[in-house]
Amino acid sequence: MSGLADDALIDYLRGAREAGRHDAMKAAIAVLVFGYHDTLMNRARLKLPEPDVADVVSETLASAIASAFDGSSVGEFKSWLHTILSRRIADYHDARTRTPRTAPLPGEHLGDEQVWGEEPSEPFEGDALHARGCLETAYCELERDSHRAVIDLYVLRARSAADTAALIGEGMTEANVHQIASRFQRRFKQLLEEGSDTGGEL
Amino acid sequence: MTDVMQLLSEYKEASREGGGADPRPYLARVSGTDRELLAGLIDAYLEQAPRREFDAERFHGSPAATIAEEVQRSLAGESGIWPALLPQLRRRAELRRSELVHQLAARLGAQAQEQKVGEYYHRMEQGLLPAAGVSDTVLDALGKIVGWTAAALRTAGTLPTPGPPRSDAGAVFARTHRGGAPEGPPDARAAQPAEEWDEVDRLFRGTPPSA
Repeated sequence: MSGLADDALIDYLRGAREAGRHDAMKAAIAVLVFGYHDTLMNRARLKLPEPDVADVVSETLASAIASAFDGSSVGEFKSWLHTILSRRIADYHDARTRTPRTAPLPGEHLGDEQVWGEEPSEPFEGDALHARGCLETAYCELERDSHRAVIDLYVLRARSAADTAALIGEGMTEANVHQIASRFQRRFKQLLEEGSDTGGEL
Repeated sequence: MTDVMQLLSEYKEASREGGGADPRPYLARVSGTDRELLAGLIDAYLEQAPRREFDAERFHGSPAATIAEEVQRSLAGESGIWPALLPQLRRRAELRRSELVHQLAARLGAQAQEQKVGEYYHRMEQGLLPAAGVSDTVLDALGKIVGWTAAALRTAGTLPTPGPPRSDAGAVFARTHRGGAPEGPPDARAAQPAEEWDEVDRLFRGTPPSA
């Protein structure tokens, strides 16, 4: 079961549920929940007070898997999961500032209009709230696909500079990888200092 | 000052098994804009991280196991994601189940039938009560207790739409009995003739079938 891709696991779950074979769902759910739980917790820790992290993550996993069953999830499961987490985090902070409601994601709330979330709690400035927008801006400003590939592979994944250069080819060297990453970091930092975060989707 | 890219590299190395490293100790080593910078990079890195390989030993008894159990009850039941959501809201409100039931019965004007309210609430948490039958009155009262809106609770009860009945051989719904849950069969009341339904039944189950 653990060798199956996310979408195959969801298909398996859907089939088991439609057949009324509820015990058969357990292993697939365990693989999905275990597989993403810690990642979501650590992302949430960047943006939420620790006492609320586990609850938001628990709700995110339940919502994401449940909406996958209705065919209302959008795109691949991992992206959908992170989208829902971001949404829940935004709702959390909206509730803090008493924003009355947030527009639902396509398919997520099935047309209803309500706020998900709880009463406001202690003020907390998440570390990554503003930074993420700046990072997306810096990324979108990169003109070359090869430079974006450097950021994808070397900065945001776990590839070494040498591996990244080899994978991209086109004359890319390890030194080029370091230079591109360094320029990206400087631009990202500049945007943070300017307070600009009006970028696109990463 | 510690180099942000070096810290990111250390964090990635520590997280190699799949998102398992707590980012806060790394953030604590920088301040100001560099801290924000590192947080943004770690956030984006985690979003791209692959699914962690399943490890039965680590899973057993972990918080993920509890969530998986709640998700399983949600998918197997008739109450949407209430099995995952309601216990969490109750914990956040720092209420034991008995305390919540006491307040819920009072808000519904059903203090004399607190036990029955408790049985129905238990079925909501276990995914054994069809969400569609639970009235707005109940959800409104419950929402006031746990700090959520009735509409949000209603939506949570509809995700996903209930599946077909269980078909695996000899199946009996596994029920957990946490927090002093009632021991009686949760669907015993379903066998009651419609004329025996009282106001509490109608609040939690809607209109009697023969009405």
